[in-house]
Amino acid sequence: MSPAGCPHVNGFKVDNWRQNLRVIYQCFVWSGSVETRKRKAKSCICHLCGAHLNRLHSCLNCVFFGCFAKKHIHEHAKNKRHNLVSNWSLIRYRRGDRVVNSIDLLYGGIYCFLCQDYIYDKDMEQIAKEEQRKAWKLQGVGEKYSTWEPTKREMELLRHNPKRRKITSNCTIGLRGLINLGNTCFMNCIVQALTHTPLLRDFFLSDRHKCEMQSNSCLVCEMSQLFQEFYSGHRSPHIPFRLLHLVWTHARHLAGYEQQDAHEFLIAALDVLHRHCKGDDNGKKSNNPNNCNCIIDQIFTGGLQSDVTCQVCHGVSTTIDPFWDISLDLPGSSTPFWPLSPGGDGSTLNGESHLTGATTLTDCLRRFTRPEHLGSGAKIKCSGCHSYQESTKQLTMKKLPIVACFHLKRFEHSAKLRRKITTYVSFPLELDMTPFMASSKESRMNGQYQQSIDVFNNDNKYSLFAVVNHQGTLESGHYTTFIRQHKDQWFKCDDAIITKASIKDVLDSEGYLLFYHKQFLEYE
Amino acid sequence: MRATINQKLTEMGERERLKELLRAKLTECGWRDQLKAYCKDVIKEKGLEHVTVEDLVVEITAKGRVLVPDSLKKELLQRIRAFLAQHAT
Repeated sequence: MSPAGCPHVNGFKVDNWRQNLRVIYQCFVWSGSVETRKRKAKSCICHLCGAHLNRLHSCLNCVFFGCFAKKHIHEHAKNKRHNLVSNWSLIRYRRGDRVVNSIDLLYGGIYCFLCQDYIYDKDMEQIAKEEQRKAWKLQGVGEKYSTWEPTKREMELLRHNPKRRKITSNCTIGLRGLINLGNTCFMNCIVQALTHTPLLRDFFLSDRHKCEMQSNSCLVCEMSQLFQEFYSGHRSPHIPFRLLHLVWTHARHLAGYEQQDAHEFLIAALDVLHRHCKGDDNGKKSNNPNNCNCIIDQIFTGGLQSDVTCQVCHGVSTTIDPFWDISLDLPGSSTPFWPLSPGGDGSTLNGESHLTGATTLTDCLRRFTRPEHLGSGAKIKCSGCHSYQESTKQLTMKKLPIVACFHLKRFEHSAKLRRKITTYVSFPLELDMTPFMASSKESRMNGQYQQSIDVFNNDNKYSLFAVVNHQGTLESGHYTTFIRQHKDQWFKCDDAIITKASIKDVLDSEGYLLFYHKQFLEYE
Repeated sequence: MRATINQKLTEMGERERLKELLRAKLTECGWRDQLKAYCKDVIKEKGLEHVTVEDLVVEITAKGRVLVPDSLKKELLQRIRAFLAQHAT
């Protein structure tokens, strides 16, 4: 199996062989268009036995399709002494030239009968790859995963830097404690969650940030440094004084040694990172803050759809706003939690049990997306009725972010009281957001009540990867984070102390900020 | 009968779609990794310089067929049935 190709292929590489090979790929291997598919369906059967299932190969020299498994193509090759090419109407083959290859119609591999194996010719592979991409585009599939192959420059770099770090299933690289610099656990807990967000980690470890800030005050650069520290393999706790200083500089309201709210820090940090990401826009200079393509937006930004329905003419006015997190009300707050919706149901979702009567994350989400009567005191001007009418408002998810952060509103700052709501809310390891999508609401409204769960649709499935908890009271409390490593190993990060945790520890915890990551990622 | 079904599936592009879904599902359930490991074993056994694709195909086809989860076979069959029912002439 030499990577240099086989010598017998040169007999094929004559005249217009590239174009001929392309046609074969387009018509019989990667049939992208409707016409080629029709043709493939009709003609791709064995000329000897009519079957289509036994690893059909096409002779590259003439019009002959034969089974590989039943050796029909082998017979043909021997009898006719043919072996390559198969676009019949366009080529002329020279007498006496023996072309000894055939092409597999399932995967497009080239088989040489003289070498008795599949061969790999750089030129032909290049053509095969291009034709496959074209066919995918025609089918609307877009780009698909292909394994990484190093460029010449990358090979050089790899040779000059021979030190390698191997990640085994039980290695703990990426785990590092953070020293508390004086009530800075609100910052530490968020840093732990961010450094264990897989996509963010990949972005920073592959050095994708190009800084355009002149001074040394770029938070994204500092974040990059932080990732280097976390994945350096050092086990001593890191002292994030530079990060703290930058946060004080860019988010004045968080400065000082008092305890701050971790959720506020998260939003402030994402905001500053988003602003400092200007140089990473891939050259698309978008001055529109709502149309940014920075890594923060790619990972964290979702779209929240708000539908206001006029109760008189039933006209719907829709707006979509970007969001980085979903703040959920809890039972026990001054705003009533139950019932979830007018005539609400109590069905279970996402495998959470109502046996103990505990509120679940799904309950909170259902409440968040329920239709809400705005009442006679809050009439909206309806463009259909041209007057002020009563209406209902409903929130649903239009676009889900790759990382969904749920904020349980445990700190109540109403006019009468300031307190912490400690109601236990049970949350799942795996979450399906399908029922809360705008598209699901539309199908419900169109009368499709029984939504069969499409096993093949994985777009809305999420996995828990970090949980930030708050212990204590509103006045004095402490933040810790549970983070997930590899597939099912959890660790508790309490400032400088990292300990192993069980899944039960995580799921039994109170929960303040819940970080979920999409299970399946699509290429753009 | 198989030939007509195959023809219909190919013509309407459903064959490609099903192949892609199958590919994704087999990767998810670890089938691909299992077979990859088995391939490596076969290659080690036969020696990298002498092994051919044919060797591998012969060795792993039987094992591969057995390792496909029944639930996946059922799902796919259901999908094909639904498609044919939808497009019955």
